[in-house]
Amino acid sequence: MLLSISEFIGHFHPLLVHLPIGILLTGIFLQWLSLKGKYKGIRGAVPVVFFWGMLAAIFSCITGYLLSINDDYDKTLVSWHQWMGITVALTSVLLYFKIQNPRLTVNNKMLSVILLLLIFVTGHLGGSLTHGSDYLTKPLADVFGKDSVPNTIIKPIPNVQEAYVYSNVIKPIFQTKCYSCHGVNKQKGKLRMDDSLMLMKGGKDGKVIEPGDAHGSAMIKRLLLPVDNEDHMPPKEKPQPTESQIDLLEWWISQGANFGKKVKEINQTDKISQLLFALQKTSVLEKKSFDIPEGSVEEADHSVIDKLKGRGVVVLPVAQNSNWLKANFITDTVINANDLQSLLGIKKQLIWLKLGDTNMNDSDMKVIALLKNLMFLNLEHTNITDKGLQEIQSSKNLNYLNLVGTKVTVNGILQLKELKSLKNLYLYQTNVRREDWKLLQDAFPKAQIDSGGYQVPLLPDDTIIVKAKKEY
Amino acid sequence: MQEAERAVMHMHTRRHFLKESAMGLGALALGSFLGSCGNSIPGNNVVFDPAHPLMPKLPPFPGNAKSVIYLHMAGAPSQLELFDYKPELMKMDGQDCPKSLLEGKRFAFIRGVPKMMGPQAKFAQYGQSGAWVSEHMPHLSTIVDELSFLKAVTTDQFNHAPAQLLVHTGSPRMGRPSLGSWVTYGLGTENQNLPGFVVLTSGGKTPDAGKSVWGSGFLPSVYQGVQCRSEGSPVLFMNDPDGMNRDLRKESIDAINEVNQQEYAEYKDPEILSRISQYEMAYKMQISAPEVMNINNEPAYIHEMYGTKPGHACFANNVLLARKLVEKGVRFVQLFDWGWDSHGSDASLAIDIGFINKCREVDKCITALILDLKQRGLLEETLVVWGGEFGRTPMMENREGKKMPFKGRDHHTEAFTIWMAGAGIKKGFCYGETDEIGYSAISGKVEPFDIQATILNQLGFDHEKFTYQFQGRPFRLTDTRGKVIEDVLA
Repeated sequence: MLLSISEFIGHFHPLLVHLPIGILLTGIFLQWLSLKGKYKGIRGAVPVVFFWGMLAAIFSCITGYLLSINDDYDKTLVSWHQWMGITVALTSVLLYFKIQNPRLTVNNKMLSVILLLLIFVTGHLGGSLTHGSDYLTKPLADVFGKDSVPNTIIKPIPNVQEAYVYSNVIKPIFQTKCYSCHGVNKQKGKLRMDDSLMLMKGGKDGKVIEPGDAHGSAMIKRLLLPVDNEDHMPPKEKPQPTESQIDLLEWWISQGANFGKKVKEINQTDKISQLLFALQKTSVLEKKSFDIPEGSVEEADHSVIDKLKGRGVVVLPVAQNSNWLKANFITDTVINANDLQSLLGIKKQLIWLKLGDTNMNDSDMKVIALLKNLMFLNLEHTNITDKGLQEIQSSKNLNYLNLVGTKVTVNGILQLKELKSLKNLYLYQTNVRREDWKLLQDAFPKAQIDSGGYQVPLLPDDTIIVKAKKEY
Repeated sequence: MQEAERAVMHMHTRRHFLKESAMGLGALALGSFLGSCGNSIPGNNVVFDPAHPLMPKLPPFPGNAKSVIYLHMAGAPSQLELFDYKPELMKMDGQDCPKSLLEGKRFAFIRGVPKMMGPQAKFAQYGQSGAWVSEHMPHLSTIVDELSFLKAVTTDQFNHAPAQLLVHTGSPRMGRPSLGSWVTYGLGTENQNLPGFVVLTSGGKTPDAGKSVWGSGFLPSVYQGVQCRSEGSPVLFMNDPDGMNRDLRKESIDAINEVNQQEYAEYKDPEILSRISQYEMAYKMQISAPEVMNINNEPAYIHEMYGTKPGHACFANNVLLARKLVEKGVRFVQLFDWGWDSHGSDASLAIDIGFINKCREVDKCITALILDLKQRGLLEETLVVWGGEFGRTPMMENREGKKMPFKGRDHHTEAFTIWMAGAGIKKGFCYGETDEIGYSAISGKVEPFDIQATILNQLGFDHEKFTYQFQGRPFRLTDTRGKVIEDVLA
């Protein structure tokens, strides 16, 4: 009871801390301002402001302490924040009495500079506690192209049976779904999961993992609670593990929650080995064949877009809040030189272009070659030949190329072998012959090449109609 | 002249004055009422432009799917004879159904204690993914590595009409917009010469829920599905009548639209603008539709692949038409095939007779559809969904407690199979499990709302944010439910 009242008071800390920051900064500002002759008149206000700042600082310290004993934050960070905060309060007290009582032998200018610095440092530490230590620098990391969120993507496992069960299969799940609250920076419920000993020790309600008994383990119980339940983990608003991830955790715990073994050393049911297999298989399919480029681009020229729209071309950003463009010549299939010029006007933004069934020919491909950001290009049923393909041999962002129903041959396509990002190549109804197949696969080892021509042969049963037997 | 003046005077009669002032007084109420009809949509980025309702729009986030083909087997095919292989059920064949499976349950037709019925088909595993498929789908079994099976779909409606409405509109009662309407409302359509949402039916009957399963509900009516005929000319009166040439047709449509514009200027009813755009669409369709809607000019090998029968009404023709429409930029193609309601009440509805014939009607053409989309590079951006409105019982039906003339199964809500393919859906995957007799879902349980959420997700929508303000509250397709089935996403 007493504890929960103190917890309640403690929860005011994040609100209260802003008062001493604001009031003391105002005090410091007024103090320095009043040194100037013109503003001498405000000198009397300075101690009043410092008095309230001092009170606010002391209350913040008290609420902060109550919060720290009831909630679970990184110990070292909390203790730094705590002592810095207390120093801020003491300094403000000192400053207040110095101003009230000028006989004290301290330099009040010096004191106010120290107070200013202390406020900044304490504030930053407090921010790191609530938002995480990388909160401030994360946007900068984006600017400098660093991968600021390394823990949200699970990397594929090349051979899952040879991998380690904890570090390769289980840990990545924890990393992406749990560490943000139960890791280095925060230990909510006194549970820390990034260290195997601490993980097995559990949190304030005891052990979370009972080796050999998945359904008796608090972790699995909480994972399986309905999302709306207060005790469900991860909390509703946080990213949730998938059902197969929960199945894998269950399996790992029921098999003894081992930290050192390889996957193949642990018993697996059919279902589990399928799920495990999926970890290496989805890795291949994980990256979508068509995606948008990383980073952003400035908005395209509206007059160019309107011009194309006026010609019946569907030009649209790939999504709301995105400037990357898609263009589809679906209504008018007669493309003229002006249209191609317009495309050049949006060449920075254009990543997706469908020119199927149009009158595109080899000479028009010179323009296409200038669309450097193009990732998706559909040229089906056009007059493009090998000569035209030659033009796009340096379109290195291309990952989808549809040449269905064109006259291209294997030689034309081999000109594109430098295009390493090419993932989907459609060659149905082209002049590529069956015997060229090997050549193409060697040239594009990573691409899915589809030459179509599938057949669904008629089976004898297909046309037989089953009739009721006589005895009915 | 005098007459005209008198007409103007008439406009200012006492009655008219009252009417006008009433309008004035009611303006405030009207304003809020109109607001509730959805012209202003707070918190929603979909902009409804009544003059160009079908203009292509952009999704909130980049989606994998550009189009959807939804193959609905109306009447609900038996999962136990197609994809959900239950050898344990065979052991119980002919025995009385255990009490535990009947207590507290309601069935559409089963009364008393029915007999269990084992799978009426042979199963085998296919492809690298090892998916179980029965002998009734010999073609589909060759392409299981392209599909993601959802084996534990559940619903709470055991009658056809409400269950179909639930699958397509998110509510078992009429009045909500259908999936295709939501999608065309949110994304418009790329080809301005064709409707954005096309419906094709086969099997001799429209679905039990009637046209409400492709209705637009409270969305503007321009987003309702356009049903095309599956026999003969898909759209009637495509050609101008004798004596009417193209210019005259254009002039007459312009004249009609002008009158409608004046009506709109007076009453501001967005439905009038919908009407105008539909006249324009009809005019444009006269040029593009005959070509797209006609499967006759497809080459012979395509007809062989799909097993189409030009000139006849059949599901295969519709499937081929669906591919043609998607290729030309139609956003949503909804197919309904009636005849899967295998109760065993007559031979055509017997699980070992009519059901097999239905399988043979759809197996080859659906397989051809997936492969044809694949070879044209369209499967990357087209989401294909196959399924019924519910499943069928592991028990043999005993309508009113009596033995049926043929083998059949009753409606079942607790487990059935739906599969999805293309547009960012995992290839060769199986999600969800049922118990050993296929009675209920034990893991990976999903509801129609989850499937709707997943379809919207693939198109670039967050189903929780894609709303339409109506009668004072934002409505969404999945209403208060639904979770994207992340496991089937590649």
